[in-house]
Amino acid sequence: MLVGMTSDRQVQAEVADLAAHIERLSGTLTLAEEPSSFAVALEEGAGDE
Amino acid sequence: MSDTLVDLAAAIRAKRVSPVEATRACLDRIAKVNKAMRAFITVDAEGALAAARALEADAAAGRWRGPLHGVPLAYKDLCHIAGLPTSCGTKTPAYFTSAHECTAVVRLRAAGAITLGKLNMTELALGPFGDNAHHGDVQNPWRAGHVSGGSSSGSGAAVAAGLAAGAIGSDTGGSIRLPAAVCGIVGLKPTYGRVSRAGAMPLSWGLDHLGPMTRTVRDAAVMLTVIAGHDPHDATTSGRRVPDYVAALDTPVRGLRVGVAENYYFEGVTLEVEAAVRAAAQALAGAGATVAPIALPDPSVLHGIANVIARSESAVIHERVVRDRPHELQPAVRARLEVGFHISAHDYLQASRLRAQLTRQFVREVFADVDVVITPTIPEAAPSLVDAKAGSVDEVVKRMGRFSRLTRPFNALGLPALTVPCGFSRDGLPLGLQLVGRPFAEATLLRLGHAYQRVTDWHTRRPAGL
Repeated sequence: MLVGMTSDRQVQAEVADLAAHIERLSGTLTLAEEPSSFAVALEEGAGDE
Repeated sequence: MSDTLVDLAAAIRAKRVSPVEATRACLDRIAKVNKAMRAFITVDAEGALAAARALEADAAAGRWRGPLHGVPLAYKDLCHIAGLPTSCGTKTPAYFTSAHECTAVVRLRAAGAITLGKLNMTELALGPFGDNAHHGDVQNPWRAGHVSGGSSSGSGAAVAAGLAAGAIGSDTGGSIRLPAAVCGIVGLKPTYGRVSRAGAMPLSWGLDHLGPMTRTVRDAAVMLTVIAGHDPHDATTSGRRVPDYVAALDTPVRGLRVGVAENYYFEGVTLEVEAAVRAAAQALAGAGATVAPIALPDPSVLHGIANVIARSESAVIHERVVRDRPHELQPAVRARLEVGFHISAHDYLQASRLRAQLTRQFVREVFADVDVVITPTIPEAAPSLVDAKAGSVDEVVKRMGRFSRLTRPFNALGLPALTVPCGFSRDGLPLGLQLVGRPFAEATLLRLGHAYQRVTDWHTRRPAGL
């Protein structure tokens, strides 16, 4: 914990919420998915313009 | 003096107005209202007038630099511009510097634009209300004492008040669209990768976007045409061709499929916001679009992913100020940064992988049925600054999250999103309509937004006395 931080309890509560959120969703991920697929998704999702 | 960027550019080209006259008019207005409004952090009157005189000489000699020749613009104070400090809304005047000037600014200047100065913003671009303890809370031009939106608060207020013909803002969770909506102007968050972020302070590499803030959709199209496109200084920029967004504006919208988001995006919004957006949907149908309801995926999934990415990246980027000078940061800003130090690498990477998956799903499922999705931009008209800042840090942070909940999902998805004025609250504060398109469909959004502005007059209204 860094010096002068906001309440530990608030920070830990938000971190726990976010971790639980990621945990709930991660089961849907395939082994092939990687972070850079995001840019590919945008390029492939573009229309004709 | 001409009211819109396009009209002003045309007047200068026709030599009805000179670049020096246009610049002096803006500087005079800034001198008159900025002390109370706090839209600018730095006004570069000397530099602006020197540039204007050079452009005037060029014009006299028939040398036209581009579509913005002699047009005065201003930039959010996170854009690095040589010779001017970049505070990023912090207490430190030169908080951010870069080896390269902000690419968007460089391109606008090459097109003939004049730099008036640097615009106020929420500290480190972290917050949707535009309050700033170091440089003053930016006042809403429609009603002092109310928020101007954030984090590009000065950009929204300056354009709405006619202090600049257009501005650049940045958007990590709504920071172009929220101030544009509450100030009654147009704001465009382009597709991730459409506009270079090089030379601009990062808040979150994965979610940051730069874009235009203007009085009309046509003005935004002009600015986007200038700033869009690949930049070797920003590896995330797309090599995709940049269309002529202005030329595309007058293509009829007949047959364009518009989906009104029926789930989630109207929950908890005020009745007047809902009425204004539904009236806007009818106006779009009247303009020839095919309008129908559509169900969208649950945005709370995207909120969580965006928060993990934004908190992690912003904590890394701004670690030094949090570690060494935490007392300099506003409490709510510090609170949001601190969370990122405790998010695991595992969760950050999973969020980044989920983002890719969800973007593919959203594009495939939603844009199979429609070309554009419309939602409200803001859940309510601009709250008072007193109300926005009331309560504990935790309450303020939660309030920030609620106010930006309609815009944040589209940062996670990287999709282009445009806000246009669509009415006023009972007490005379602007409301915003958000249009969201498939990746790189800025031309379609601008075309539809322009069609809307042809059949409505919200964008022609001006704050009293300005």
